[in-house]
Parts: sequence; C-alpha cells; structure tokens
Amino acid sequence: MATAYPGTAPAAAGGPAGRVVGRLAWGLGVLAVLLTGYAALHGRFPFPDVYAALPDRYAWVEPAALFDRAYAWVVANRNTSPLFLYGFNYLSVGLGSAVVLINQALTLLAWPGVVLLGVLAAWRVAGGRVALLVLAAFAVFGLTGLWNEAMTTLALITTSVLIALLVGIPIGIAAGRSERVERLTRPVLDFMQIMPAFAYLMPMLLLFGIGNPAAAVATAVYAVPPAVRITAMAVRDVDAGAVEATTSLGSTPWQLLTKVRLPLARRTILLGVNQTIMLATSMVVIASVIGAGGLGDAVYQALNKVDVGRAFEAGVAIVLMAIALDRVTAAAGSGGAARELPPGPRRWRRAVLGAGTLLALGAAAGRLAGVGWLAGWPDALTVSAAGLVNAANDGVQALVGTWAAGFAAALLAVVLDPLRTLLTDSPWWLVVLAAAAIGHALGGVRTALVGGAAILLTGLLGVWEFGMDTLSQVIVAALVTVSAGFVAGVLAARSDRLAAVLRPLLDAMQTLPPFVYLIPVVALFGIGRVPALAAAVVYALPPVIRLVNDGIRGCSAGAVEAAVSQGSSRWQLLTKVQLPLARSSLLLAVNQGIMMVLAMVVIGALVGAGALGYGVVFGMAQNQLGLGMTSGLAIVCLGLLLDRMTQSAART
Amino acid sequence: MGTRSARPARPTRPAARRPRGTGLLRTVVLTLVLVLATSCAVRTTSVLRDPDTVRIALNAWVGYEADAAVVGYLLEHELGYQVQLVQIDEQPAWQALDQGAVDVILENWGHEDLMRTYGPEGNGTVVDGGPTGNVGQIGWYLPRYLVEEYPGIDTPEGLREHADVFRTPESGDRGQFLAGAPGFVTSDQGLINHFDLPFEIVFAGSEAAQLTEVRNRYERGDPVLFYSQDPSWVQNDLDLVRVRFPEWTQGCDTDPEDVSCDYPRYELNKVFRAGFARDGGAAYELIRDWTWSNADQNAVAQLIADDRLDPEDAAARWVAEHPDVWRPWIPEEAR
Repeated sequence: MATAYPGTAPAAAGGPAGRVVGRLAWGLGVLAVLLTGYAALHGRFPFPDVYAALPDRYAWVEPAALFDRAYAWVVANRNTSPLFLYGFNYLSVGLGSAVVLINQALTLLAWPGVVLLGVLAAWRVAGGRVALLVLAAFAVFGLTGLWNEAMTTLALITTSVLIALLVGIPIGIAAGRSERVERLTRPVLDFMQIMPAFAYLMPMLLLFGIGNPAAAVATAVYAVPPAVRITAMAVRDVDAGAVEATTSLGSTPWQLLTKVRLPLARRTILLGVNQTIMLATSMVVIASVIGAGGLGDAVYQALNKVDVGRAFEAGVAIVLMAIALDRVTAAAGSGGAARELPPGPRRWRRAVLGAGTLLALGAAAGRLAGVGWLAGWPDALTVSAAGLVNAANDGVQALVGTWAAGFAAALLAVVLDPLRTLLTDSPWWLVVLAAAAIGHALGGVRTALVGGAAILLTGLLGVWEFGMDTLSQVIVAALVTVSAGFVAGVLAARSDRLAAVLRPLLDAMQTLPPFVYLIPVVALFGIGRVPALAAAVVYALPPVIRLVNDGIRGCSAGAVEAAVSQGSSRWQLLTKVQLPLARSSLLLAVNQGIMMVLAMVVIGALVGAGALGYGVVFGMAQNQLGLGMTSGLAIVCLGLLLDRMTQSAART
Repeated sequence: MGTRSARPARPTRPAARRPRGTGLLRTVVLTLVLVLATSCAVRTTSVLRDPDTVRIALNAWVGYEADAAVVGYLLEHELGYQVQLVQIDEQPAWQALDQGAVDVILENWGHEDLMRTYGPEGNGTVVDGGPTGNVGQIGWYLPRYLVEEYPGIDTPEGLREHADVFRTPESGDRGQFLAGAPGFVTSDQGLINHFDLPFEIVFAGSEAAQLTEVRNRYERGDPVLFYSQDPSWVQNDLDLVRVRFPEWTQGCDTDPEDVSCDYPRYELNKVFRAGFARDGGAAYELIRDWTWSNADQNAVAQLIADDRLDPEDAAARWVAEHPDVWRPWIPEEAR
C-alpha cells in the first residue's frame, strides 16, 4: 500500500484534492447504481433465509439457534459441569468476593478514614492541587448522598483494573518482545475495541453470572486493550543500546526484563494504566444493566423514575471520580517531573502522612467500637441539586419542545426513512457489492473484500434487516457528528477564547455517562430514532471537535505564515493549507466519530432506536442469548466495515 | 536446604536492590495454586456473602419499588438487617436467584416457564414464596380524553376504525403502539395479528423512555396507546382507560403470533432463592409473612412517584401510619 512521504506533502497538494474529487465521484456513482437497483428491483431480493434451505442435518449451524442452545446448556450445567465447577465459577466467585471484600474494607475505614487516606495519597503522589480535587470529589459523593454508591463503584473499578493489569501487562510484555505474539494479539485487540460495550455484557452474564462478578469481568475485558497495547509499545521502544549493553554483560532474559526493560518503560506503562482506569470507569456505569451496583446503578435507577436531576447528580459524581482518578494516575505516571511536590522538608511530609494514617486507623477503630456518626455519611450533611436540574430540563423542553418535535418529524421523513428503505429494500447482493465498491475506492482490494464480507456476515447472522436499519441510522448520525464537529473544531482552532470555553465542557461530555442525557432527548424529540441519533451525536462530538482543533493547531507555523504573506484569504488558508496539512488528524476524527456513534447503537435502543441495538437489549432482558449475540456480532460487523473503510482512507 | 548449582553463588546485594517484583509474583502464584488445590469444586452460590445482608432484586416499576422500600425498611429497622437492592430486569432476576446473587424477588408476574427451569421440578434453586396480596393487570391503555372524543375507541373495533389517530412519523401510515420495557411479558404482536389492527409496535426500549413520551403526549392532549400495567405509578398519575379485549381464558395466548384475548390477571407472588428459604432466618420469615393490598402498595407508590419522596422516607411514613398492617409480619421472637 502506498504511503505518503512527509516530504511530498506540499507537492501533492493537488493530489489529495484530486483524489477526494475522484472518490466523491465514485461514491456518487455507487449511490446512483444503488438507486437504480432499488427502483428496478426493490423488495424482490430480501436476504434469503439460508438456514431454512439447508437439509435438517446441517440446520444446527444457524448462529442464533447455536447460541440459544449454548445458553440452555450453561443454565442446566452451571453447577454440575467441571468446566464451571473448576473454571468459570472460580473466577466469578473470586471476583464477586473481591468486590465484597474491598467494599467492606472501605466501609470499615468509615468515611473520614477514606477521605483522609485518599486525599493524603493524592497529595503524596500528585501534589496539593490534585489533593484538593480529590477532596472535592469526596465532598460531592457525600453531599449528594451517594457515598455508599461511590464506594461500591470504587471497589468495582479497583477489582476490574487489577484483573485487567494482571492479564494485560504480561501479554503486553510478551507482545513487546516477540513479533509473533504481537501479530497474534493485534486483531483480537482490534475486535475488542470495535465491539460496543453493551455487546460484551451478554456473554459475561452467561459465563460469570449476574451482578458484580460479571460486571468486574466485563469491565476488565473492556479495559484491557490499552494495557496490552501501551505496555507492548513501551517495552518495544526501550532504548536498544541499553538492552544491548545489558545483554553483553551476560544478563539473563529475566534480569533484562526486570532490570532494564520494565524500569525504562515504566512511565509509558503507567500511561497505559491510566487509560485502563478511564475505560473501566466508563464501563462500570454501563455494567449497571447487568446488576452492578454503585453510581451507575444510581443513574439507572433515577432514569427509571424519570428523575433527570437525580441521574445528573450521580453522573456528576462519576465525572468527578473519573477526573480525580485520571489526575492522580497521570501524575504517578509522569514521575517527579511534572508534578508539584508537597511543600516543606521531607520530615514534615512524613509526619503529615503518618498522622493522617493514624487518624484513619482511628476512624476505623471508632467505627468498630460503634461510634454512630462514623457508620455512614450523615444524612444531615446532604444537599440536592436535583430539583434545579429538573426545573432547567422542563424549562428547555417548554422552550424548544414543539420546534424539536417538528425537526424530528422532518428528519425522519426526509432523511432517515428514505435511507432505511433504500438499504433494506434494495437487493441484498447489490448492497454487498456497493459496500465492496466503496471499500475499493477507499482502500483497494483488501478493503473491498473486508467491507463486502462484513456486510454479508450481517445477513448470515440472520439480522439483515435490523442491520440495514442500524446502518442507515449510523450513517446519518455520523454525517451530522462529523460536519458539526468539523465546524466546531475549526472555529475552536481559530479562537483561543472559544477553545478555552470548550475544553472543560468537552471533558465533562466525554466522561458523563450517556444514560444521563437519554431522558432529556426523549423529552425533546419523542420516542424513536431521532432522540437516539441526538444522543449519539452528543456522545461522539467531543473527540471529533478535539481532533480537528488539535490537527489544525498542529499545522506548521511556517506554512501558515507563508500562505498569509502571499495574501491568502482566511478561507483559502483554511481550505488550501490548514485542512490538507491536518489531513491525518481529520481522517482520524472521522474514524473516531463513526466508531463512537456505533458505540451508542445499543444505548440508543433504550429510547426507541430499535434494530440491532434493540436486539441486544431485548436479548439481554428476555434471556435470549441467540438474538442478543447475533445482534451484538452484527454491530461488530458494521463496525469492522466502517472502521476499515475510514482507516484505509486515512492510509492511502 | 542447600542448593546444588553449577553456577557460582550470586553475590549478595543490598536488600533494597532485591527484585521485589519477583518475590511478590512468586507469592501470588503460590497463593493461587494453594487456593486452587485446597478448595475444590466451586458452585456459584459460594460467593462471599454477608449473612446480615438481604439482597432484594429490584425490578424497575414503582409498585415493586414500594414493596422493596417497605420490606427493606422493616428488615433494617425492626430486625437490624442490612438491605441491598439489586436493580435488574425481570428475567435476569431469576437467573440471579439461581446463581445466588440475590435472595428474593418480591413481586413476580407469572413466568411459569422460569419456575419450571429453576423451581423444584427443575434444578431446585428457587422456591415459590406465596402471594404478595397484590393483583396485577397488564393491558393496552389510552387516556380517558380519547374515549370521550372517540366513543368506543377502547375496543378492538374502535382501535381498528380510529387507528389513523395514533399515527406518528415513527410508525408511518399505521397507528403507533408504544411497547414497554424490553424485559416485560408481551403478546402485543399476537393481539395486533388476531384482531387485524393496523398498528405498528414502536419499542420504547425502556420504561422510563416510554413513560416520558406518554406523559408528554398526555400533557399536550395528544393521542397515545401504550403497554402498561396496574398497579403502576402512571395509573395513579394519569386518567387512563384499558382497552377491552375479550377476557383471558386458559390457552388463548399460547401462540404468540395469534392471541385472541386480553392479558391474564396475575396473582403476584414472591420468589425465594432456595438457600435463603432454608437458612434466611428472621429475614426470610418476615418476607414470607408479608402480604398487603393494592391500596397499601399504591399509597406508598404515590408517595414515591407523585410526592417525589425518597423510597425510604415513603416507607417510613407508611410504616408509622399502618402498624396494624405490618405488625403481624414481624417474626414472633423479634416482636
């Protein structure tokens, strides 16, 4: 595959533009063929029921039925089969117990103890400002009356991050040292990162049962890829000279690893730990659907009572927890360099830490002795912003409600319905060919094959119509996200003030659990595909805006200056210099935007998006593993299709 | 013990420079091996559990929440237990009982098939806990103002005639029937097929989303037809009429594609984890003896849903006002 050499960029300025036009023409051509095919043959070639045509002997290959049988087998054998008695049950019982134990330890410490230890640890590792942030987070947990929930979530995150690291770091080390292991793990990690969080939940539910064990495993699995990837990268990038020197001194491989590679890779590995923690924090919330307790459950319960304010409070608590964990681990990763160390002489610092630990132990002792106010955060010390948020929500709804409903109806009639009809009613083979053709235009033969195969697999899983319905929604949501994100990103890149206003907003949007804004979008747009689309756009916008902004700001100052001095207008500067130079960031932004939209497919089903997402939700709620798994895998297929296309577009 | 090695003895290093990671790793591996070797087969039910904690499955409707609030309040304040509410869908809740992840489902709607799988005739991990005293009715509901505007719309014939009233952009040229949460028992498509109703089911995907939509439409006086059940908080809140399908008879709903009758009336019951029924002690006895009327449940549900009271405060208020109702539930020795 052709790679662009950095040096050729200015010379090829007409190249990419020409290619964009070529691709656009190709895309329009494919669309025209699809439309003609639809006009001539619509409804005549629905995806065939392959499995009905098979002789009885082979009928068992139908994926949905296969999963359903597996499900029935597991239910019947969970407490008799050695696979479970000596295998999965160990894990699930061990993990479930670990969560209970950590939670009990936190309860035993009592809230003053936890606050003291947490703040002191943050102060020791990351300095005064982060310690204040941690203190603020704890204060919010307590003041909102969510102390116990926050502790459960902390226990869950701790457990699952520990498993993720226990599994991920050794694999990462292996992958960093051996090319073969690297090649084996890469596709698996790709698959894991494309798979939407919800789709993880069903198999976990099956193997590890309901509640905290399954939640811990699902969270760990979701959070493991960055641990593996970044560890591998860190180990591989260790200075070759250092490795050679040690080897020539006669070190054993074990010594080489523990004495040279790991210490040198430490900072990068800690960055992986940080990423793992962040992913775990977002997944723990989603895992509330399979009975995980804690803050996620608080959001979920509030939503079931349509109490947006309460859900928002719990959401803010999660955001604060995520930010606090992020800052502390990031500081731990950056070593002493970037952090401001606690002031004062060493001895003084030790004294503070010692006294704090003693006080915390005292709190634990007091709790054991039965001091009443240590048993839980005092109820008198709580305030609630829920009423305020609910009022604001009602206000917005009253203000733009009718307008939004009209917009929703128009969007359905003009865009969503026609596109869905086009995809579901066109001959299935034409849709497969169209996907392959677009793949070919973007990335050559391989992408064409992957694209065609992925979309064909959706049909073979038995969910063609759902798949096309979902695809139509994802396409529209991605278009909206990318265009809005580009506009906002360009504006932010041009105005420092706007960028400064946006940054904390984007931070919060990225960590706020998407459950929180589901009910407000329903209140605005009614039930159906439009509110789901709105939620997906809200969720996927921040990374797009961020990448576009970074990309344009990252353009070399020299090129920009040269263009300005030659009298380019701002528009010319943008379209002729900045956007072409930021091309790889922009394409990454498109890719990220699409993948994030896809991750919202299942969550969108909670507000009426239907299709594949509903298959997953329904399968989970009604114990129908077949429907749930085939729908989940079909989402992965669509993800593969869109990811490969946008990625190869970025490469060629 | 002396080690025989061809290699020269390693030079002793200062203690601080010993590879701490190795030692830790070995300890962890050894412990794991020990644990694996000493314990043998592990059943899911052996997960660590605090005997003083009762874990109640919490299904997402307010009637259930009222049950859980009152039972939980009494367990905590009269018997000194800790109560953990585990939010979970109806059917996975049975699985959770089977796996020992929760102790009791307080309000079960039917589910004979699950009872066959997990009950005494199946793998024996759950037992029926007797009726709660509440009677439940699932059905198709619409606002009363629609019946006043279109008399007879609350019958299958009336719905067929006025289906266009319920059209939305999402349902196209058919009427919209708003389905409930994905976990609920449904025979809606069967009803649509049998009575030849020109309706499209729109899946709200969650009860919260469905109720938000229903409330919005109700406030605007718009038409809406939806799946709901009584007792439920919307029933207290909005003035609704249930569509009159022919009454349920045995076997009229066996074919999910062709259902000729309304939903049955459910005698709601409790379902226990078998282990909890065996050694749940006073907590088990309290829940076993707990029964109350629809009016009792609605009183608590209303405090939670309309007055926006915290479930625990709602329970406290009800408990303070109705000692005669709950006194008999408390086990003899704890009274």
